[in-house]
Amino acid sequence: MSRGYYDYPVVRRPVWTWEVPAYFWLGGMAAGAYVTASLAQTFGSPDDRRAAAGGYYVAAAALVPCAPLLIADLGRPDRFHHMLRIFKPLSPMNLGAWTLTGFTPIAFARAASHAAGTGLLRGPLGALSRLVPTRLAELAGCVLGLTLAGYSGVLLAATNIPLWAKSKLLGGLFMASALASGSAAVTLQAARRGAPDTTLHRLAMLESAASAGEIAVLAGYLVQSGRTARPLTRGRFAAPFWLGAVGAGAVVPFVLHRLAARRRGRALQSLSTVAGLCTIAGSLALRWSIFEAGKISSEDQGASFELSSD
Amino acid sequence: MIDTYKRLMNVEPPPPAKKPRGFFTDTSLCIGCKACEVACKQWNRLPADGFAMTGNSYDNTGSLGATTWRHVQFIEQAKANSSRQDQRWLMMSDVCKHCANAACLEACPTGALIRTEYDTVYVQQDICNGCGFCVPACPFGVIDRAPKHGQFEPGTAHKCTLCYDRLKDDMTPACAKSCPTASIQFGDVEELQQRARRRLAELKARGETKAELYGMPEGKEAAEVGPLHAFFLLLDRPQTYNLPELPRLPRKTMAQRYGWSAAVGVGFALVGALVFGRRR
Ligand code: SF4
Ligand code: SF4
Repeated sequence: MSRGYYDYPVVRRPVWTWEVPAYFWLGGMAAGAYVTASLAQTFGSPDDRRAAAGGYYVAAAALVPCAPLLIADLGRPDRFHHMLRIFKPLSPMNLGAWTLTGFTPIAFARAASHAAGTGLLRGPLGALSRLVPTRLAELAGCVLGLTLAGYSGVLLAATNIPLWAKSKLLGGLFMASALASGSAAVTLQAARRGAPDTTLHRLAMLESAASAGEIAVLAGYLVQSGRTARPLTRGRFAAPFWLGAVGAGAVVPFVLHRLAARRRGRALQSLSTVAGLCTIAGSLALRWSIFEAGKISSEDQGASFELSSD
Repeated sequence: MIDTYKRLMNVEPPPPAKKPRGFFTDTSLCIGCKACEVACKQWNRLPADGFAMTGNSYDNTGSLGATTWRHVQFIEQAKANSSRQDQRWLMMSDVCKHCANAACLEACPTGALIRTEYDTVYVQQDICNGCGFCVPACPFGVIDRAPKHGQFEPGTAHKCTLCYDRLKDDMTPACAKSCPTASIQFGDVEELQQRARRRLAELKARGETKAELYGMPEGKEAAEVGPLHAFFLLLDRPQTYNLPELPRLPRKTMAQRYGWSAAVGVGFALVGALVFGRRR
C-alpha cells in the first residue's frame, strides 16, 4: 500500500561505504580496551594490573587505522582537516573527529609509558615515556574513550534513516558492543600471555556483564524499532545480524564465560580466547549489518512516513 | 588573541542581514512544463542526468539530488468510473525547503553549510569535505554528495542555493524567473506567507476543500524544522507529494540518545570497579 509519491524514497540513501562501520568497530574496540585496562589499573590487584596493561597496546594498535579509514570515506579526503576548523559538538561528526584527535595521542602515550615501565621501550624515548602522568592519562583517556565508543551510534541515529533513528538506543547499543569487544581484546592478550586464573575470571565476569548488557540493549532496540527493523532482521542481513551480531557477538560468549567461571588453567584460557574472538567478530557484524541495512531502510517510504508522524 | 586569530585566518565579518527571502510554490498553478528544472540546470551549470524513463507519468527526473535542484512531480489521481471532477493530475515543483532549523546545517561538521544574510541555507563549496552527514540528516531527502570520481564538483555536497549569486545582484532565482504560470513565486518570506494565506482562502472559497499550506509557521510540520522558507500550497495531503507529515530535526532527541549511551558506559565502569575491586 503506497500512500506517497509512487514508491519513491522520502530520504536519501547514505553515501558512506564500508570504511565507516570498520572505523566504528576498531575505534570502539580501542576505547573499550583502554577503559578496561584503566579499570584494572585503578581497582585491580598487582596481577590484574600487569595482565590488563597489555590493553593499552591493543588500544593503540586498533587506533592506527581509524583516522585513515575516516579520511578515506570523505568525498574530499584532502580536506579532512576542515573537520577541525571549527568546534561544533552539536554535530556528532565534529565531536567524533575532535574526540579521535584527542584520544589517539593519549592512548599512544599511555601505551608508551607501559612499554617503558616493562623495559620494552629504552633510550631517550623510554625516558620521555616515563614522564607521562599515567593517572591523568587514564582518567582523560577513559572520558575521551567512552565518548568515542558512545558517539558512533548517536551519529547514525542523528539522521532521518528509519532503522537508525526510530529507536533511542542505537548509541547505547554501540557503546555496549564497543565495551564488550574492548574487554574481550584485553582478555585475549591476557590469556595468550598466561595471566593468572583469578585475573582471567575477573575479566570473564566483566565481559559477560558487557554481553548481558548488550543483549538487553539490543532487545530494547528491536522492540522500539518494531517493523522498522525488518531490513535488519529479515532478508539479506538476517544471517550476519542473528548469527554474527547476536549469536557470536553476545549469546555464545555469555555462555562460554559462564562455563569458564568454573574452569582453571588451560581450559580457562581456551574458553576465554574463543569467547573473546567471538565477541570481537560479532561486534564487527553488528556495526556492519546495522550500517548496511540502514541503506535499505532509507528506501522504505512507509518506514519514513511512520518515523515522521509520531 | 581572537583578533589575531581572525587576522591570521582571514576571517571576514559576515555581510549585514537582509530580509529573509524564499519561495512560495503554489502547486495549483503548476502545469508541469519543467521550465524551472531547465532554468536551474542552465544557470547553475548542472550536468544532465541521462535519459532514463521511469514510467511514472511525466516524471523522468525521479528525485532531487546533487545535480537536480528542482524536481517536478506528476501525480495521476484517476479512479475508474469516477466523475470528471475526481480525475486529477497534480503537479508540483519540489525544491530545498531552506528550513528555519535546518537538519543539514546542524549536522555539518566543517561549517560548510551556513545560513546566509538572506536566511537561506547554503553549502560553501570550498569548505565541504564531503563527509556526507548532511545527506541522511535532511528529512526531505534533498541534499546529496556528488560522486567522488564524477565530472561535476566531485565529492562535495550540493543542493539549491536559492540562486545566492543572483540574490547578491538583486535578481530573481532562475526557476521563479522562468516559471510561466507564477507557480513558483520568489520574494520576502513574510510577504509570501501573507499571499499564500490569501490564495488558500480563495481556493477554499472556490471549493478546493483539500488545499492546504505546507511549511507555514503555524503548520504542525514546522514544529521541529521551523517554518520552511521555501513552502508550498498543496492540493492533497503532504504525503501524496512524499512530504513528511512531521519532518524531524535530529537534534531534538540527541540528548536522550547520548544519555542512554552514557548510562551503558557508566554501568560498565561500575561493574569493572566492583569486579576488580573484590578482595579475596
Ligand atoms: S530541506 Fe534539507 S537540504 Fe534543504 S535546508 Fe532543509 S534540511 Fe537542508
Ligand atoms: S558533506 Fe559537506 S556540507 Fe555535508 S555535512 Fe559534510 S562537510 Fe557539511
